[in-house]
Amino acid sequence: MSDRGRVLFWRLLILVVLVGAWEWLTGIKAISKTPGLYWIDPFFISRPSVIVKRFAYLASGEVRLSIWAMALSTVQSTLWGFVVGVSTGFAAGLGLGRHDRLARVFEPYIIAFNSLPRIALVPLVTMIFGFGLLAKIVLAWTIVFFIVFFNTFQGARSVDADLIHSARFLGASERQVVRTVIVPSALAWTFAALTPSVSFALIGVVVGEFLGGESGGGLGYLIIQSLGTLNAADMMVALLTLGVIGIVMALGIKQVERRLLRWRPEYRKGP
Amino acid sequence: MSFEVADQEFVAIVGPSGCGKSTILNMLGGLVTPSAGAIEVDGGPVTDVPRKVGYVFQKDTVFPWRTVRRNVALGLEYRGVRGTELETRVREGVRLAGLEGFEDAFPATLSGGMRQRVALMRTLVVNPEILLMDEPFGALDTHTKLSLHAELLTLWEARHQTVVFVTHDLSEAITLADRVIVMTRRPGRIKLVHDVPIPRPRDVIKLRETEEYAHEYSVMWHVLGEELGAPGGVQGDMRTGAGSRLVSGHPQSAPGARPSLQ
Repeated sequence: MSDRGRVLFWRLLILVVLVGAWEWLTGIKAISKTPGLYWIDPFFISRPSVIVKRFAYLASGEVRLSIWAMALSTVQSTLWGFVVGVSTGFAAGLGLGRHDRLARVFEPYIIAFNSLPRIALVPLVTMIFGFGLLAKIVLAWTIVFFIVFFNTFQGARSVDADLIHSARFLGASERQVVRTVIVPSALAWTFAALTPSVSFALIGVVVGEFLGGESGGGLGYLIIQSLGTLNAADMMVALLTLGVIGIVMALGIKQVERRLLRWRPEYRKGP
Repeated sequence: MSFEVADQEFVAIVGPSGCGKSTILNMLGGLVTPSAGAIEVDGGPVTDVPRKVGYVFQKDTVFPWRTVRRNVALGLEYRGVRGTELETRVREGVRLAGLEGFEDAFPATLSGGMRQRVALMRTLVVNPEILLMDEPFGALDTHTKLSLHAELLTLWEARHQTVVFVTHDLSEAITLADRVIVMTRRPGRIKLVHDVPIPRPRDVIKLRETEEYAHEYSVMWHVLGEELGAPGGVQGDMRTGAGSRLVSGHPQSAPGARPSLQ
């Protein structure tokens, strides 16, 4: 068996064992014939078979707000928050990274805002932007912006001075130095921030959806609704869907990264 | 200290580490402003990075995110050269540097010698009149170094740029230069200015077996050895050779008068 095959085999085995144990342990009673006493109570964590059934139901046309619509809403807000956060964070990081005085002026404000727990902003953001898509995007943005900003800032500061000098000796104008030296060197740092940024964008969006109600839709709404009805299976459906969304987005970023940073030795080989 | 470099002349500056060889080059390139004294190129003072000057660093300054081809193209792109002219000149540069077949390789896949070839060709492809080289082959092994010496000389014979080449390797200086400036230990002063009368074109390998080479080497090694060994060795300026093109230090200062160039 090839190395990749072996890894794949173990991954699948772990999945089968975990799901099997889950299904089995939530099915056997601790004391026979006594109702409600399980080894592990499916009331709290549900069972794989029930979750699949609920998923099929939520995915069908019978419900007003299907799991697809909710997932789409979550993905949409996450992507928007991610894109807006990355672009503004990159621009700000590049700008302040190359202008020392400006960076010193803004430093206390940036640190103060960044140390604010972002969850504390949720009610305020909801008050300003309402319960819809916009509030979720803004929440994701407030988190992603700073992650990308700090990394790009560091990257823009640590550009090799000799690379800038050699560009100038080759006749580069200030703009050309930025385009051909500073942006590409900073990008390597920015990319390091992208994978965590996706997870944090998801956090922002889901927290927004907790408060957002049905008009905001999304998987966070399903989670909160399931809490109201004490429905562990629906909650699990939402969580598993979120997990899948997270994995797909992270893999997507890896692909973009592999393409744009293909000059780095660590990206020259396959996965 | 004061010295002049003539148009189309190849001058090497040799000296112990920390004597300020690189600083002189940085001043010539406009990267460092002298605290006293004057640097003049073509009779005018150096205030910024001059456009006609090419600079090859000791450190690897090939852009890692650009392929060989796009590294060589950099200077031309900056100057707005586009289309077929860009393509032709880049292809010619890649060929001259002996990098055919590696056009689309990223620097991380190349050896140190090949990367330095890219750096050299990237500088030469825009035809600088003056070439400043700061120990460009310092990090390479002897074999690679010799083959790059041969290539540099071939390229130089073709265009005769004015070259100031900083090195701590005396044999490198003798192999390449018309004139060698030997510097004292810190604080750096000119210890000896010596013409290298070895005829061109030179064969970098055979050269080393000639008597002339051995003679030049022993003369300068003796002088340089005083700097490496005895503390507070003899300090004094000697000047030979003359030129008009590129002036460093006080142009008006007489030999023997030593304005500081720290």
